[in-house]
Amino acid sequence: MLITLERNSGVPVFRQICEQIRFQVAAGVLRAGTEIPSTRDLGERLGINPMTVSKAYALLEQEGVLERRPGLALMVRGAANGRAASAHREKQDELAQRELERLLRPAAIAARQLGVPAKDAIELFKRVLRAPGDEA
Amino acid sequence: MSTKIGTDPSTNSRGHATEQTIAAEHLAKTYGDRAALDGVTFAVPRGRIVGLVGRNGSGKTTLLRALQGLAAPTAGRATLFGVDGLALGEAELARLGVVHQESRFIPWMTGRAHLDFTRSFYPRWDAAREQRLVDAFELDLTQRTGTMSPGAVQKLAIVTAVCHRPEAILLDEPAASLDPPSREALYSTLFELLREDEPAIMISSHQLDDIERSVDWILCLEKGRVVRDEALDSLQERYARWRVLPTSDAPALPTEFREGWIRSAVIEPRGALLVVEGADDAREAFEARHSVTVDAQPLRLSEMFKVWTNGGAR
Repeated sequence: MLITLERNSGVPVFRQICEQIRFQVAAGVLRAGTEIPSTRDLGERLGINPMTVSKAYALLEQEGVLERRPGLALMVRGAANGRAASAHREKQDELAQRELERLLRPAAIAARQLGVPAKDAIELFKRVLRAPGDEA
Repeated sequence: MSTKIGTDPSTNSRGHATEQTIAAEHLAKTYGDRAALDGVTFAVPRGRIVGLVGRNGSGKTTLLRALQGLAAPTAGRATLFGVDGLALGEAELARLGVVHQESRFIPWMTGRAHLDFTRSFYPRWDAAREQRLVDAFELDLTQRTGTMSPGAVQKLAIVTAVCHRPEAILLDEPAASLDPPSREALYSTLFELLREDEPAIMISSHQLDDIERSVDWILCLEKGRVVRDEALDSLQERYARWRVLPTSDAPALPTEFREGWIRSAVIEPRGALLVVEGADDAREAFEARHSVTVDAQPLRLSEMFKVWTNGGAR
């Protein structure tokens, strides 16, 4: 599991962990049934208090992104096939939209502060979508 | 499975009862007519790492001294493991690790000799941990402490303070003379201790960026009083910097904003920067009321600190 932290960003570390795990589940990097590192292991890897990791995991469990089955490690919720698999795909879509919305919000605020009309902002987004790597 | 977020107040992650490992109750200390501490109350359970912050003379060192019984309270209590500082006995001291602001060692003794001397007092001395830390700090133990650099002395003090597996650790400006890699090593050591022994840790520092990266709780003193005693997460979620611009139909910003949750403000006719506390839900109404748009950004600890230590500075 790939997590990097911005330690002086002012964003709580547990939020950063949640955002990155959600993103990776939504993007299919972390698949249904994938085991998540223990709070101790991830705490050690990131150099943070394991309790901070617990807090992130608890929130993701509550959101239904992660799941704890009795006697097993914490894992990404859903199954590889059957009804659980389609539920997992729905969850992925929902997460993807939520993540994109979160990332777009700052751009929307910038558009308002810059006085760029909604119509033009949407056109710009379409253009960026077509060629995300190109500088204007 | 509980879905509760945050730390259960009655137990910590390993189910230790949260004995108030490091605590004070209405603690006051006066020197002549100067109050160094005035009504200080807090409690730190095991597994928590607290950053003790405050300006020079705010009472940080006095507090750490009172906890160890090196300064007698004028009123109230300072306790470790529930025992008043002045009444600490061998049993409690064996569970405590301390790094002082300035460490003194016997100058003709080598680092090795000092460690061997110290470990002879502690049956629980962890030799493997000692070796790991000496390696991490690149400490030359063959050197006499009198010829060591201030940074090396400080590193030796840290190793000396934590190898007996203490359950409470007090550090007074431990990183002041350390270079950046050594500070990294110090903080990763503290996290290692948290994972292994789950001690309660209190660390005072002026290096707020280091503190922000490392602690999960903030205790801020100003003129001997507690002005903040709160989880860093929750502070980060409540505080924000707002960049406020007038909407295109509004000619200029008001000359002042009177909202009670504004903690500091720099206002120019075409834009303002505000530091706000707990204002997320008030944002839309604020935008409508003043014909403005708000761009909210996270706030760093160093900026919160300015707000707490200038009496709000509005």
